[in-house]
Amino acid sequence: MSGDRTQSGIPLQRFYGPREVQDLHYERDLNEPGSFPFTRGRSGGDRGGGTWIQRELSGEGDPVRSNEQLKYLISKGQSGIDVIGDSPTMACLDPDHPLCAKAVGTQGVSLCCKEDYLRLFQGIDLGSVTVSGSLPSAFGIAGFYLAARHQGCDPSRLRGSMVQAPFYCEECGYAMHMPFDLRLRLTCDSIEFCTQEMPRFHAFLEDTYYISEAGLDSVEEMALGLVEIRHVVRELLRKGVDIDSFAPRIAILLNCRMDFFEEIAKIRATRRLFARMMRDEFGARDPRSQAVVITCHTSGLSLTAQQPVNNIVRGAIEALALVLAGVQAIEISAFDEAYRTPSPESHLVALRTQQVIHLESNAGKVMDPLGGSYYVESLTNDLERRVRKMIERIEAMGDPALLSDKGWFRSVFENAMERYARQIREKELLKVGVNIHEIPDEEDTLLKDVAERKIPPCLDRIERIRKMKGRRDRARIEDALRAVLETGRARQENLMRPVIDAFEAGATMGEIAGVLRMAYDFPYDPLGLMEPPV
Amino acid sequence: MRRIRVLIATLGLDQHELGAMAVSRMLRDAGMEVIYGGRFNLPPMLLRMAEEEDVDVIGLSCHSWEYIHYVPELCDLLRENGLDIPVVIGGSVITAADAEMLKEKGVAAVFGPSARGEEIVEAVKTLGSRAHG
Repeated sequence: MSGDRTQSGIPLQRFYGPREVQDLHYERDLNEPGSFPFTRGRSGGDRGGGTWIQRELSGEGDPVRSNEQLKYLISKGQSGIDVIGDSPTMACLDPDHPLCAKAVGTQGVSLCCKEDYLRLFQGIDLGSVTVSGSLPSAFGIAGFYLAARHQGCDPSRLRGSMVQAPFYCEECGYAMHMPFDLRLRLTCDSIEFCTQEMPRFHAFLEDTYYISEAGLDSVEEMALGLVEIRHVVRELLRKGVDIDSFAPRIAILLNCRMDFFEEIAKIRATRRLFARMMRDEFGARDPRSQAVVITCHTSGLSLTAQQPVNNIVRGAIEALALVLAGVQAIEISAFDEAYRTPSPESHLVALRTQQVIHLESNAGKVMDPLGGSYYVESLTNDLERRVRKMIERIEAMGDPALLSDKGWFRSVFENAMERYARQIREKELLKVGVNIHEIPDEEDTLLKDVAERKIPPCLDRIERIRKMKGRRDRARIEDALRAVLETGRARQENLMRPVIDAFEAGATMGEIAGVLRMAYDFPYDPLGLMEPPV
Repeated sequence: MRRIRVLIATLGLDQHELGAMAVSRMLRDAGMEVIYGGRFNLPPMLLRMAEEEDVDVIGLSCHSWEYIHYVPELCDLLRENGLDIPVVIGGSVITAADAEMLKEKGVAAVFGPSARGEEIVEAVKTLGSRAHG
């Protein structure tokens, strides 16, 4: 941390007192947990406070292997499921695409068709466990919906969430090779679909975690996230969707870095900003529409490949901050994430860390225990002001679709990446084992052995998918894909039904996504290596 | 004398660019010209880019395991095409055993997590000056 400033650059005093918070008005700015503006917590804790959903981001290999992994984590006390697709899945490419061969199943689970989702959740009761997904949203929701129905569980009972990343995915980590309008439409259509079919499911999980892992600070993270939320909300309202039909199911997936109090204040400020925005700007009346659900991952970027045992400490500090801030779900980035997809050992340590905080520390027993702290309230005010100012600045620049096309967002991430690297290089940001208190490589052996155990790409799955594609009823697939293409071209219709029907008919995500790209005059295959089936 | 030209890229579907960005900046600051090849590269694409851009060094950044397959493939391709362009790679996922394997396959320099910026700049400069003599 940079001497006398927070990680996002807010100047720090030696201590704080009543003078720094003299404008603070309890009822207006804080109020009780569960009451507007929800600074102190989303709910009043009437449904059993002091706990949160404890889960680890998981998924590796094919759906069979990931299913075992999910069951393993549940058997160890995990109270929710959080799955992430492998990099081909995140890019909406099938495993048999030439760009994917070496990455199938190595950094998440490979999911490309209906059968995959059924297999992933086999033996896991979707009616009783919450399932969060980091997946291309429309396809992930279609998959969850079909898996629930297959189990005999009414999809209206599904709980969990799906990340929506229409604005920034192409620029930083989740590129799907789709134009802005199509990405936005898939987001809006899937959210609208869930208001009818999966009303308990948080179909709108704003993901500011992955963007801030590019090195954004807390202010940039929240400003970019809220800009995205605001645009999607406006788009849904424009389509005639009632605010109180979808807003209660908005959640935000935040990042938690090492600046302990700033991260706590960020979460409190986010709840207040969101509440005021939903009530005053978007006219939400249902209190649940004003009280945002917050779920967090501890920062993978804060971890180090050097002396990885220290990452366990980092995860514990970050998770404690989240418990004190009062969030609805936590995932601790595993200690070996700096150098591999998490091993079972590191997953277990991360889960145990949460359990120790939960069951032994009593830290979560009282809601918003830091409320009223001069320092935390002052930081909360400061962050709210800074985030609001940045949102205004970005929105004043005009249409975000144009900003996206002109590469403005990309430049924000590039600058952040360069800045972060410079801060480390110039020791403005200290990292134990990296730029201070280093040890020679030959002494740095503790917990390093897990790095040599790698997850090989699932080459047999590529073969299986290829065979499966050959066995299908061609005519049925083509009809289903043509329906997707037509609905894609008719810009006003909801895409979810034809996407689900195409999954049912046996089409894959790569094919459906490709056809959707065509509907928007983009190439079927971003690399020009696959032939369009229709 | 023309400036040393370095192609910087990531491989396959690896979308972690922080390392590639950081190294690009350091190389530029050290007076080298960086051709930023970005994401989604397969070895044949890198070969073509390296040829077309007439680069002196290819620098790869990795945060997925794809490099284990693609880097040896790229080294072979360069050799088959008679291109004597040194390849360097960096990333925190590279283990000691991987580093050995990569050097055997012909990679000129491998940088793990504890590599210092100056070390990387120095190595690329040396390899680059040797390459365009």
